[in-house]
Amino acid sequence: MIKLANAFLVVNVLIAAFFLYSLEHATRALERNIAKTEKSITDERERIKLLNAEWASLTRPDRIQKMAEEQLGLKTIQAQQFVPLADIGAKVPQTPPVKLEAQNADAIGKMLETLQ
Amino acid sequence: MNDTSQEFASPANRGKLKGQNRIRLLGIAFTAFFAAIAVQLGQLTLLHHAAAVNPELAAHEPRQPRPDIVDRNGVVMATDISVSSLYADPRKILDVDEAVESLTANIPDLDAKSLREKLKQPGRAFVWLKRQVGPEQRDAIYNLGIPGVGFVEERKRVYPEGRLGAHTVGYVDVDTKGIAGVEKFLDDQGALYTASLNEPGTHTSAPAELAMDTRVQQAVTDEVSKAIIKFKAKSGGGIILNVETGEIIALASLPDYNPNAEDKHLTSDQQNKMTSGVYELGSVIKAVTFAMALDSGTASLASHFATGAPLQIGKFRIHDLHPHASQSLEEVFTNSSNIGTAKMALAVGLDNHMEFLQRVGLLEKLVTEVPESARPLLPRHWSKLASATAAFGHGFAVQPLQGLSVIADLINGGMAVPPTFLKRSKEEAQALAHRIIKPETSDTMRYLFRANVEKGTGEKADVLGYRVGGKTGTAEKVVHGHYSKDKSLASFIGAFPMDHPKYAILVMLDEPQAIPGTYGFSTAGWNAVPTASNIIARVAPILGIEPQFSPEDLDKLAKQAKAQKKEG
Repeated sequence: MIKLANAFLVVNVLIAAFFLYSLEHATRALERNIAKTEKSITDERERIKLLNAEWASLTRPDRIQKMAEEQLGLKTIQAQQFVPLADIGAKVPQTPPVKLEAQNADAIGKMLETLQ
Repeated sequence: MNDTSQEFASPANRGKLKGQNRIRLLGIAFTAFFAAIAVQLGQLTLLHHAAAVNPELAAHEPRQPRPDIVDRNGVVMATDISVSSLYADPRKILDVDEAVESLTANIPDLDAKSLREKLKQPGRAFVWLKRQVGPEQRDAIYNLGIPGVGFVEERKRVYPEGRLGAHTVGYVDVDTKGIAGVEKFLDDQGALYTASLNEPGTHTSAPAELAMDTRVQQAVTDEVSKAIIKFKAKSGGGIILNVETGEIIALASLPDYNPNAEDKHLTSDQQNKMTSGVYELGSVIKAVTFAMALDSGTASLASHFATGAPLQIGKFRIHDLHPHASQSLEEVFTNSSNIGTAKMALAVGLDNHMEFLQRVGLLEKLVTEVPESARPLLPRHWSKLASATAAFGHGFAVQPLQGLSVIADLINGGMAVPPTFLKRSKEEAQALAHRIIKPETSDTMRYLFRANVEKGTGEKADVLGYRVGGKTGTAEKVVHGHYSKDKSLASFIGAFPMDHPKYAILVMLDEPQAIPGTYGFSTAGWNAVPTASNIIARVAPILGIEPQFSPEDLDKLAKQAKAQKKEG
């Protein structure tokens, strides 16, 4: 009787040990995964920051202004160029200056091509 | 139990009994031991699993990062990026000469002599060789494989907008400690604010939001720098302030500096003159005197002042540039009469004048987030003469920002709102505001400001459609203790749209010269005023001011269009 109980306990210990070991193994793997993911999150955050900084630097208002003055020939908007929503109907020209459908092509793209 | 008590009687069983008792004792001890472990295990795993924080681990967590600084629309103005810094452990370096040779070959700006000295200190375990090394150089040095030389990841503060708004943002030293502008505020007085930005548990932090709008900032900087070149001025500046919330939308002080430069040896010209310098703003200050006289009831729009003869106070005489025999209150403002303004101040009285300056806050140092802030310079003895001259801005120097802020308070309905460089909502501003003058006085001030642009010294400030109002000031500069005749400081303080002011504007030019287009004049009306006009024309659409045209404006527009057709 005692022998049977002992054998039962030994088997139990073995099963428990195996279970514990595999659990620990899995936990370690998960921990490694977490660390890896956290590292890649930090790296990604770092990269986002860098890109944000680069974007801010590239869209600097003084840079945009210089390019707009050199390339586009735009002027400062005048107060009288603003039209209230109610009057907008009167300001629409009869024939549109750029006929998008008639040219059957990308009209703005063409304008860009001629610019280049 | 029964067995043992029966066996207890027989002496032969005594030894066996002793052994059994021992086993029992041992059993109880083991049970107690395992029970203790079980209880502890249960407590740790089931009850405390969230709250258990190892204090040693907590101490080694990376410190909270410095918050980014963004403008009111979220454009990044200052951020941290990760860079590598080169260090050496002189104890581990085997061949100093070889190390020096290969290091200088890869980083040309390292000085070989000082490098050798650094590496030859046998007692040192750590010396910086170069902070913030670029990625290519870092890889090259890694590949050299010199023993005792390594890299540490460091944070570097960068300012993607460069010079734009540099005086507001400020900068940090090589250890990323703020030493100027809002950067310093984040470390010092604003430490609580900085801490509130931290997002717990994530090692990230929300950005500090400035009141600044980079687009408006660019318009102001660009126009002021053009004006400095055009009028050959020494320096200049411009501010746009939201009169309702006290937010500083733009603040430019030129010449400026590049906050990304390694060593910034700022000259006194490059300082933030809008807050750290005090200037006699001259006639601009007259507006304060007018508000005082109107608010105390000693003058009204119906008042007239005899301004024919110079005003004699003791040995001192107050003159006018363009003498008139008698002027109404409105004419005193639009003609910028010193005599009339001095008389208004004297009518109010010495104590009341002092009390009013105190009430609007002109006697105290203006405190904002930017630490570079100067105390106003006041007349040493508050006498009748001091009061009369201070009335038109002589002997009375303030920060330009403070001057603008006071004028903004006079026209926004009479509420003093402390100016701020950080984003602020209308509700927050209302909680901070307190009344300094009656709303009716503020209405009259608006009328005077608008009248001065319609037919007074500020005529060139008008931008059709945006109802600009303002006051000019040309102050002679004090050179060697005397007012100089040819060195002056031209300024313009205004607001738009005048029927319901939203934004106040200041333009200041230091020592502008007369140029061919100005008919020999170097007064504010010819330089600071047109500059302000250019700025308003550019920023009003960005700030969302709806243009409205009066019949006179439409007439002017029609004439302009005709003239253009003729030319075309």
